[in-house]
Amino acid sequence: MKKYTVKIGLVLVIMLTIITACSDEFVNQDPPYTIDSENYFNAPEDYEKALVGAYDLLQASYLNAMLGEIASDNTLSGGESATDVVGIQQIDDMIHTPVNAQLKNIWDWMFAGVYRASYILEFKDKIDFDGKDQIIAEARFLKAYYNFELVKWFGPIPLKEDARFVISDVTSIPRSPVEDVYASIESDLIYAIAHLNVTAPQVGRATKGAAQALLGKVYLYQNKFLNAANVLDDVILDGNYDLVTNYNAIFENNTENNIESVFEIQYTDAQGAGFECLQCSEGNVAVGFNGIRNYDGPLFDSGYSFNVPTEEAYNAYEVGDNRRDVSILNIVTWAAANNATYGEGYKHTGYYNRKYLPRKGDLNTGDQNLTNPNNYRAIRYSDVLLMAAEANNRGGIDDTKARTYLNLVRRRAFGDTNHDISASGAALTDFIYQERRLELMGEGHRFFDLVRTGRAAQYIDGFITGKHEVFPVPIEEIQFSNGNWQQNPNY
Amino acid sequence: MRTHLLQLTLLLFSAIGFSQSITIKGVINDAKTGQPLPGASVTLQNTLKGTTSDFDGNFEISELKLGDVLVFSYIGFENKTYVANTSETINIQLNEALNNLQEVVMVGYTAKKTKDITGAVSVVSSKTIEELKPIKVEQALQSTTPGVTVTSGSGAPGSGFNIRIRGISSNGENGPLILIDGYQGDIDLLNPNDVESITVLKDAQAAVYGAKGANGVILVTTKKGIKNSKTRVSFNSYTGFQETSKKINVLNAQEYALLLNESYANAGLALPYPSVVGIGKGTDWQDEVFEKAPITNNDFTISGGSESITYALSASKIKQDGIVGLEKSGFDRSTARIAMGVDLTKKLKFNTNIIYTDFNRKGLNENGLGSVLFNAINTPPTQAVYDSNGNYTLVPSTPGHGNEVINPLAQIANTYNSYNQERINGNFTLEYTPIKDLKFTSRYGFSTANDVSKSFSMLVDYGSGKVFNNVSRSTVSQNTQKYSNFTFDLFAEYKKTIHENHNFKITLGGTLYQAKAQGLYATGFDVPYNSWEYADIDLANGPVPDGVVPTGSYKAPTYRRPSLFATLDYDFKGKYLLSYIARRDQSSNFGPTYSVAYFNSILGGWIISDEAFFENVKTINFLKLRASYGTLGNDNTGGGSIYRSLLNGEAEYVLNGTLITGTAPGVIANPEAKWESDTKFDLGLDAKFFDSKLEFIFDYYNNTRKDLLIVGIPVSGIGGGAAPGSGNPTVNAGSVKNNGLEFTVNYKNKIKDFKYNLGFNITTINNKVVSVNNGVGYIESGSFGVGQLPPTRMQEGQTMGAFYGYVTDGIFQNQAEVDAHPSQVALGAEAAPGDIRYKDLNNDGVIDNKDRAFIGKPIADYTLGFNLGMNYKNFDFVAYSFASVGNDMVRNYERTENKLNKLNYTLDRWTGEGTSNEVPRVTAGATSNNVFSDYFVEDASFLRIQNIQLGYSLPENFIKKAKLERVRLYASINNVYTFTKYRGFDPAANSGNPISGGIDYGYYPTPRIYMLGLNVNF
Repeated sequence: MKKYTVKIGLVLVIMLTIITACSDEFVNQDPPYTIDSENYFNAPEDYEKALVGAYDLLQASYLNAMLGEIASDNTLSGGESATDVVGIQQIDDMIHTPVNAQLKNIWDWMFAGVYRASYILEFKDKIDFDGKDQIIAEARFLKAYYNFELVKWFGPIPLKEDARFVISDVTSIPRSPVEDVYASIESDLIYAIAHLNVTAPQVGRATKGAAQALLGKVYLYQNKFLNAANVLDDVILDGNYDLVTNYNAIFENNTENNIESVFEIQYTDAQGAGFECLQCSEGNVAVGFNGIRNYDGPLFDSGYSFNVPTEEAYNAYEVGDNRRDVSILNIVTWAAANNATYGEGYKHTGYYNRKYLPRKGDLNTGDQNLTNPNNYRAIRYSDVLLMAAEANNRGGIDDTKARTYLNLVRRRAFGDTNHDISASGAALTDFIYQERRLELMGEGHRFFDLVRTGRAAQYIDGFITGKHEVFPVPIEEIQFSNGNWQQNPNY
Repeated sequence: MRTHLLQLTLLLFSAIGFSQSITIKGVINDAKTGQPLPGASVTLQNTLKGTTSDFDGNFEISELKLGDVLVFSYIGFENKTYVANTSETINIQLNEALNNLQEVVMVGYTAKKTKDITGAVSVVSSKTIEELKPIKVEQALQSTTPGVTVTSGSGAPGSGFNIRIRGISSNGENGPLILIDGYQGDIDLLNPNDVESITVLKDAQAAVYGAKGANGVILVTTKKGIKNSKTRVSFNSYTGFQETSKKINVLNAQEYALLLNESYANAGLALPYPSVVGIGKGTDWQDEVFEKAPITNNDFTISGGSESITYALSASKIKQDGIVGLEKSGFDRSTARIAMGVDLTKKLKFNTNIIYTDFNRKGLNENGLGSVLFNAINTPPTQAVYDSNGNYTLVPSTPGHGNEVINPLAQIANTYNSYNQERINGNFTLEYTPIKDLKFTSRYGFSTANDVSKSFSMLVDYGSGKVFNNVSRSTVSQNTQKYSNFTFDLFAEYKKTIHENHNFKITLGGTLYQAKAQGLYATGFDVPYNSWEYADIDLANGPVPDGVVPTGSYKAPTYRRPSLFATLDYDFKGKYLLSYIARRDQSSNFGPTYSVAYFNSILGGWIISDEAFFENVKTINFLKLRASYGTLGNDNTGGGSIYRSLLNGEAEYVLNGTLITGTAPGVIANPEAKWESDTKFDLGLDAKFFDSKLEFIFDYYNNTRKDLLIVGIPVSGIGGGAAPGSGNPTVNAGSVKNNGLEFTVNYKNKIKDFKYNLGFNITTINNKVVSVNNGVGYIESGSFGVGQLPPTRMQEGQTMGAFYGYVTDGIFQNQAEVDAHPSQVALGAEAAPGDIRYKDLNNDGVIDNKDRAFIGKPIADYTLGFNLGMNYKNFDFVAYSFASVGNDMVRNYERTENKLNKLNYTLDRWTGEGTSNEVPRVTAGATSNNVFSDYFVEDASFLRIQNIQLGYSLPENFIKKAKLERVRLYASINNVYTFTKYRGFDPAANSGNPISGGIDYGYYPTPRIYMLGLNVNF
C-alpha cells in the first residue's frame, strides 16, 4: 500500500511539475529575430530605415494626382464603364459622397504617411549621432507634405505634435482648423529648410529647395503672397534649378530627376504588384490607369483609359504652343499616323494624358498596369516660377518680376519671345492662371488651383460653392470619431 | 494546488485483493451464424484481468476464484456474463447488438459508453466511410452527421474542405479542432481507409479542450490490430472516371451574334454581325475545357495480434486527375502507416501509430475574375479554339472583351506549377496502470511536414492589355516550407465506487501544444527556352532587376499553449449522470495580462428508461434526457501574437534609382486582445423503440460567441493601418449567436434475408450577428464585378455574410416609367426603357448607394441528410443524399462586358413594352443594370444524391476454397445528381470565408465519379 502511494505520488508530482512549471516562460517568449516597434531606433541605420518607410507612402499619392485632374475641368473619369471604380466616376461628376473608396484611400494613405513620419519624430531624442538633423528634417518635410495633401483634400484634420496617433485619438483629438494645420506645416517646413542640404544624400530624398518650394506653395494656398514670394524667390535666386530646354524631354523615363525637378516622387518597375494593395506598388499606378485602352502600336503600352483630357483642354493651347502635343495625346491622329489600334472606354474623348502614359520599354513586371516606373514630377521648376509670378503679381509686389518668371515659361513653350506677355495687374493674373493650367496640364494641380483662386464654380460643372472646395471626410471616420468630428459642410 | 491534487489522489486510492484456482476455457461464437468470433474480449468483471479469443474464437482464462463474474464482449454484439463455479469448457454465444449503447466512444481524453454520454456527440464509423468512398476523410461527415456542414471552395482534386459545426460563429477561423488519436493533426491528408471512427463533439462536451473547443472538436481514431488474432489482409481497389456534374447554359454562336447585334442597335451603334448566316453553334468552350478524367485508388491493410502485441500496417495510393486540365489540376496521395501496441508488462502498455504521407498537387487559376472556368463561360462562342496554324486563338483585346478574358485552353496549356508535401505524423503512448482503476497516460503526438512548390511564369502574350501577359521576363518561383508541431499529454484517470451506487471517475492532466513554421522563397529570372522542363532557379539565372530581392525567408513566431484540465464524472446507479469539466489554458497569441483563460462546463443526463416505472413500457427500449452548458474558447487571432507591434511593415522606396528596403511598423497591435468565448447550451433526447429498431436523437442548441476576435477590424485611418504591410488590429469586437434544432431518425429491420436501414437527419440553423463594435456596426468583404462596392457584410442583426445591394423593382417598360422614377444616374447611367428599376429605399428622390439593403444570405435555414442501405443475400445497396434549403449565392461569374458571351436566360430579355419584367435589355451603351442587386442573387437550395453503390459478395463456399474470407465487387457513383434552380456550377460550393463565401466566381464543380471496385479480405 505504502509502496504504491509513494510511486503514484511521485508520478503525479512529476506530471504536475512538468506541466505547470514551464507554463509562463513557455508561453511568453519573444518571436524569433523580430524587433518590437517600441524598442527600435538603437542605431543611426534604424533612423535611415524608418525614413525609407516614411517616403514609401509618397508612392500612394498617385491617386491624389490622378483625381486632382479628374475633379477638374481638364479631364473626365473614363475607365471601362460607368461602374468602373465608382468612386472615380462620382468625383468626375461632382456627385461624390462620404461613401467613396478612393477618397477613403487618400485619407488613409496620407495619414499612413503622417504616421510613419511621426514614428521617427516620436523617437527623435532616443539617441544622438551625426546626421540626425538631416533625417529629422526629412521626416518633418514628409509630414508636411502629407499634411498638406490632407488639408487640400479634406480641410480641417487632426494634428499631433511629434508623436504617432493612437486609435483612441479619433474620439479625443479634434479636427484642427485649416489655419492651425497650415501653421503646423509651415513650422515643419521651416525646420526642414534650416537643416536640409541643397543636394540630397541620395536622388529622391528631399532637398532644401524642395522644402522651400513646398513652403512657397503652402503660403500661396493661404494667399500669403509676401511670404510666398520671398521663399520662392530664394529658390530661383539660389540657381540650383533650371528649365529643361525641350518641354518634350521632361516626362520620359530617361529624363527623370532632371534639372527642373524640384521634388520628384520615385517609382520603379522592378517589383510586382496587385490590386489588393495598390498602395504597396512600387510603380506609378496612375500611369496604368491613364493608359490607352487596348492599345497596340509604338511608344506606349496600354492601360485602363481613365483620366481622359477633354476636347476643351486640348483646344486651350494656342497655336505654336509646343506643350499641347506633349501634354495631350490625340489618339485619333496618332493611331492614323502610326498604324496603331486602340479601344474606346467610357467617356471616350479621343485624348489621353500623355505625360503620364505607360511607355514601352519598361520591364512590365506583373501586373504591368500597376508597375509603370514613371516618376511623378511633384514640384517642377516651372511650377516654382509660375507660383513666384503669381505671388509677386497678386501680392502687388513686383509685376515686372512676375512677367519675367511667366515669360521664362512661355519662351520655352513656344521656342520664341513672340509670345511674351506684357500685361500687368489683374490681366497678368489671368495670364498666369492660364499658364499654370497649360504648363501643368495632367499633373494633378488644376482642381486645387481653381479652388484656392475661387474660380472652381466657374470652370467645373456641378461644382457647388461652399461644398466642393473640400472633399467629404470618409463616412467611416465620422462614425469612428463618435461625435468628435463633424462632416464637412453640405455633405 | 499541487499538494492538494496529490492528497486528493491519495485519498481516492484503495487496495485490491488477489485470489486463484478456477480455469475456464471454451469458444465464443456468433449466436446467429455460429461463426467463431476472433478477438472477442473476456474480462473478469471490475478488474483489468482478461484475455481475448484467438482467430478460431478460443479462449482460456485461469486463476479465477469461485463466484467471479466473466464478461464476454465483442464490438457490435451484446455483452454476456458468466459466473465461474468450477473449471470447465464452455460455449459462449453472443447476440448481435440491436443497439449500440455499449459501444465505447472517445469523448475527450478518455472514452465513454454511448449510454453514458451526456453531450451532443455524433459518430461516423468505418462502415460509413467504407460505403461513402470519400476521397478525403472530411467528405464522410457530409450528410451523415446532423449539425455538421462540409463545403468546399473547389471541386478540383485535392482541394480542401471546410467543416462547420453548428453554424458560423466567427469572422475568422470557424474550423473545428481536429485530433488524430489524441494529437492535434490535419484530417485532410489521411487515407480514409485508415480511419476506424470519427467522433464529433458539438456542445460543451468539447470543454475538456477548452481553448480550442469553441468551433467543436473532431476526434479521429485510426484502425488498430486486435489481440490474439491471426494475420488478416484486406485489399481495396477502385478505378473509375469523372465528368463535370454541370455545364452552365450559355449562348451558342448564333444566339450570341443576334444578341450582340441587338445590344449595338440599342446603343445606336452599327451591327457587329451584319449577317448571321452560317454562324452556327460555334465553339462550346465548356465542352472544350471539361474532360473525362480518370481516378484510381488502391489500398491494403494487414493487421493482427498476439497475446501482448497488436499491429496494423497499411498503405494506399490514390491518383485523381481533374475534369479541367486533367493532370494540370490533378492530385495524388500515397500513405503508409504502422500502428502497434505492446503490453510491456501487465501494468505498462505502449502504443504507437505513425503515418507517412506524400501528397502532390497541381492547380489552375480558379474561382475568380479571369479563372479558367470564368473564361470558359465568357469567351465568345464565335471564336475558334485554334487558328489555321494550330495555335490557340486570342480573345480580341478590343473593348468589350475584358482584360481578364483569355482563351481558357491556352490558359490551361500555359499554366505550370507543382506542389509536394511529405508529412510524418503519429504518436507514442505509454499507459501505466499501477493499481486497479487508476491509469496514467503519457502521450506524445507529432506532425512534421515539408513542402516544396514551384510555379513558372512563362513569357506569354495574350494580346494587348490582357492582365495575364508576361512579355518581359520569364520567372520561376520556388518555395519550401517546414511545419512541425507536437501535442504532449499527461493525465491520470481514477475510478471509484462509493456505497455501491455512487460511481465517480476523475481525470486530471495537462497538455502542451507547440507549433512552428518556417520557409524559404526564391525566384529565378529568364527560364531557358521559356519551358517548364527547365524551370528551376538553378538554370534561370538571368540578372535580377535592380532593387529586387529574389530570395526571402520567414519564421513564424512559435505558437505555444499549455493547458491543465480536470473532469469529474459521477453517476448514480448508471441512471443519473453528471459531469463537470474544467480547463485552464494559456496562449502565446495574447499578451501576458490576457493570456490565461478558464473554461468550465457541466453536463447532466437521466436515463429514464432505467427507472422502475419504465419497466412495463415495452415499445420504448431506451430513453435518455441530457443537457449541457459550458464555455469554450478560441484563441485564433488570424496569425501570431497580435498584442505587440512588430516591425514587419513594408518600407520600400526608390533612392538613387534603386529599390531600397527599410523598416516600418506592421499590423496595428492590440495589447488588450483576449480569448473569444463561446457559451454553449444543448438539450438532447435519445430514444430507441421496438427492440431498438427505431432510433430518435433530438437536440436543441444555442451557442453565443462573445468577444469575437475580429481580424483587421476597420479603425480610423489616422492609426496608419493602411500603410503597405500594415493592417488594422485584431480586436475583441463582436458577438454571434447560432441556435437551432437537430433531429435524427434511424430505422433498421429485416424481412427474412432482406435487411434494410433508413436514416434521416435535419438541422436548422438560425445564425445572427449580435454586435460588431467597430463604430460602423458592420464589416464588409468580397468583391462583385469590377470596382464595385463590397457585396457581403457581417452586420448587427443579420446573418453572417449577408448580401448587401440594391433592390430591384422590375424593368422600366417605357420612358414614362423612367421619368416617373427617381434618377438612377448615380449608379452609372441614366435609365432607359428596358433597364432595371431600383427601389428608392430611403425615399430621398435619388437612387444612390444609400438605397442598398440586405438581399440574401449564404447560410441555409435547413440542412438535411438522408441515407438508405439494403442487403439481400449477397447483394448490398447504399444511397446517401443531402440537401440544403434557404441559402443564396451571388452570381458573379458573368463578366458583363458587352462582347463576351452571356448566359441563356438573357434570351428572355426585355425587348419592348411588356416583354419582360425580370431580365433587362441588352445594350452596348452605358447601363446601371450591372450594379450589385438582387438580380444577381439566386436561391442556391439544393438536393444532392451524393452516392449510390451496389455491391455483390461472392458466395462463401466459393471463395473459401481460395482461402479468402470475403470478396466483394461493387459499382458506385459519387455526386450522382443535384436538384437545384441555381444556375452556377455548384450550389454546394463555398470558399469558406465566413463573410464573402457566398460569392460565386465560377466554382470548379465537384465531379461526378463513376467507379468499379473490389474488396478482398483474407
